[in-house]
Amino acid sequence: METLRADVRAWIAENHPGEPGFKLPQSALEVADDRQFDWLRDWQRKLYDAGYVGAEWPREYGGRGRERGAQRVIDQELARARAPFLLNLVGLSWAGPVILRYGTEAQKRRLIAPLLRADEIWCQGFSEPGAGSDLASLRAKAVRAGDAFQIDGHKVWTTLGRYADWCILLARTDPDAVKHAGISYFLAPMKIPGVEVLPLVKMTGEGGFNQVIWTDARIPADALLGREGQGWEIATATLQFERGAAEGSAGGSGGGGEQVGRVAALARALARDADPVVRDRLADFWIRETALRANAQRARVAGLLSDRPEALPLMQKLTASELTQALADFACELEGDAAGLWIDDPGAIENADWQRSYMNSFAMTIAGGTSEILRNILGERALGLPKTR
Amino acid sequence: MNPQIRYSEEQALLRGEARRWLDERFPIARVRELAESEAGEDPLDWKQLAGLGWLGLVVPESFGGAQLGATDLAVLMEETGRRLLPSPLLPSTLAALALVTDGSDAQRKRFLPAIAAGEIRAVYAGSASVWGASSADALIVPRGGGLEIVERSSGGLETAPEIVLDRTRRSARVTRNGVALGADAPSDRLAAMACLALAAEMAGGADALLALTCAYAATREQFGKPIGSFQAVKHPLVNVLIGVESLRSLVYAAATAFDANSPDAETLARMAKALACDVYVFAASRAVQLHGGYGFTLDCDAHLYLKRAQASRPAFGDAMAQRRWLADRLPGAAPL
Repeated sequence: METLRADVRAWIAENHPGEPGFKLPQSALEVADDRQFDWLRDWQRKLYDAGYVGAEWPREYGGRGRERGAQRVIDQELARARAPFLLNLVGLSWAGPVILRYGTEAQKRRLIAPLLRADEIWCQGFSEPGAGSDLASLRAKAVRAGDAFQIDGHKVWTTLGRYADWCILLARTDPDAVKHAGISYFLAPMKIPGVEVLPLVKMTGEGGFNQVIWTDARIPADALLGREGQGWEIATATLQFERGAAEGSAGGSGGGGEQVGRVAALARALARDADPVVRDRLADFWIRETALRANAQRARVAGLLSDRPEALPLMQKLTASELTQALADFACELEGDAAGLWIDDPGAIENADWQRSYMNSFAMTIAGGTSEILRNILGERALGLPKTR
Repeated sequence: MNPQIRYSEEQALLRGEARRWLDERFPIARVRELAESEAGEDPLDWKQLAGLGWLGLVVPESFGGAQLGATDLAVLMEETGRRLLPSPLLPSTLAALALVTDGSDAQRKRFLPAIAAGEIRAVYAGSASVWGASSADALIVPRGGGLEIVERSSGGLETAPEIVLDRTRRSARVTRNGVALGADAPSDRLAAMACLALAAEMAGGADALLALTCAYAATREQFGKPIGSFQAVKHPLVNVLIGVESLRSLVYAAATAFDANSPDAETLARMAKALACDVYVFAASRAVQLHGGYGFTLDCDAHLYLKRAQASRPAFGDAMAQRRWLADRLPGAAPL
């Protein structure tokens, strides 16, 4: 592993692409124009060709077949070097792992390699208007018609939808079954007739999210993942990957967890680092950040989880997103008057990155289960409290 | 910082053994009984602690101890914290740690075997108010980078029991020939080990509170439903959970760092103590609050832990003091 770490470090030193000369988005959630998209796609391809994407995935599908833990080492080094994020977020972290777990041999052979190389981009069709956190109330329909399914429905918050070639799509195949039972999971092509993508604009002015309208769209029958009616189970597995409660990402998700040093440097640059109030807050953030990393470590130590095995995996997304938000908020406060300035104003600090981070952090405290829903889940599953109705 | 955590089968066995014995020996009714007693402890318990080998947990084998590591210490302290162990095991363990860390050869040779065997009761004395002083034969006092050992048999030592908030852990004001006992600052390593031991104990207490409060919230009904089904009750309990689990992770990361001689050990131990202060007091305050009017009475067990939490906070530096120390070592900022 230490050889791998040294190799990655050396490779990044040689190949770090630096700044592109235009404003990059902060994550794959905000990729909204072709210039950003092409630049980030090139980066993922370069990283894949170097062997650093899909490091632990099977060779026969385009992975590198390395030992467990290799991807984490790679991701840590990429994060440390503040390398750009990987574009194909949904494919690498959510779609890919569930295809490996539930897919047929043909699906794995067809879909995995192009996903790793960002040759094909993935999006997620789970959320619907009116069915945010209450995922099981979704209304999109899939009706069997010979060797195809006909899809009708309306999806929202579809990250990368505009660029996607494929969608992990939840639709109801049995309208008569009770809520969870009638749902199926599809690996649906996006660039087909009947699929319309409408961009949404975030409060930062950035794009990235989309609405996707499916109208009489026909997808082949072999787009079904798992069995008909197994959709809820596979969706739950997908959410575990999305929330970091299960490991499986092909790369690019090792970021985060080293923000406090940046904020401390900001305080120093602004000459506020001698203020005892600022110092106390920074130390508190440092404790929380370190605890987050220690939690991720302890989640791998079976003997220290026995009393409450579900708590740590379920906590990760909730605590990481809330810390990110609180830190960005604190950084904005540190900026004083400049906190009111926005991107491209000459007086903006770090070109308003912290303001943008703060606003974008709500995507993390809302998407993949809001913090409120995650607290309910933790209370019920990890603490055994009665269900909230 | 990339914290590592190691935990072996031996430590799991130690935890199981400790938990079984403490559960049996210290049901909450007995803890209350001892808390109300004059001495605050039962000498029979001390004999049993010696028999279990816990008095010599950190004492090297060559001095008759078990020579276990920081991770084992964390395991044991966490379990005693759950049961509010009414016995001076912690100050005695800190005394042994002080001797191992900063004692002279002669001091070690004379005291460590006797401490491990339960023949001499030594307690760590970092100030004039000393945990377990009333029943101690010797006080281990940090002095000029080493240790001074004050024995009761040498005469002139007076211990006046203090009236304490937390009656499950007794302390006494110590004077020698009429002068309040003074101490120098402990060595960095000793202070950090003390932070670790205490943070582990506090984690156990906070975890016990969480279980206590969840059990109540799952059964107590209001408006025709168990109160634990209300988000206004559920969410603060989850915030306690997050605190407790994060604290346990930092405790075991610090312990692993000590056992591996990592330079991060002191930082992690102080982080653990800082978080322990906040988490334990928060867990206890939510326990009292969520038990409602009953929680405010002596009948509810929550106050026993609340008092332990408040009384443990200042020892070896409260959260504010720890954060002050940490702020000088922040990544990305120059120290002042």
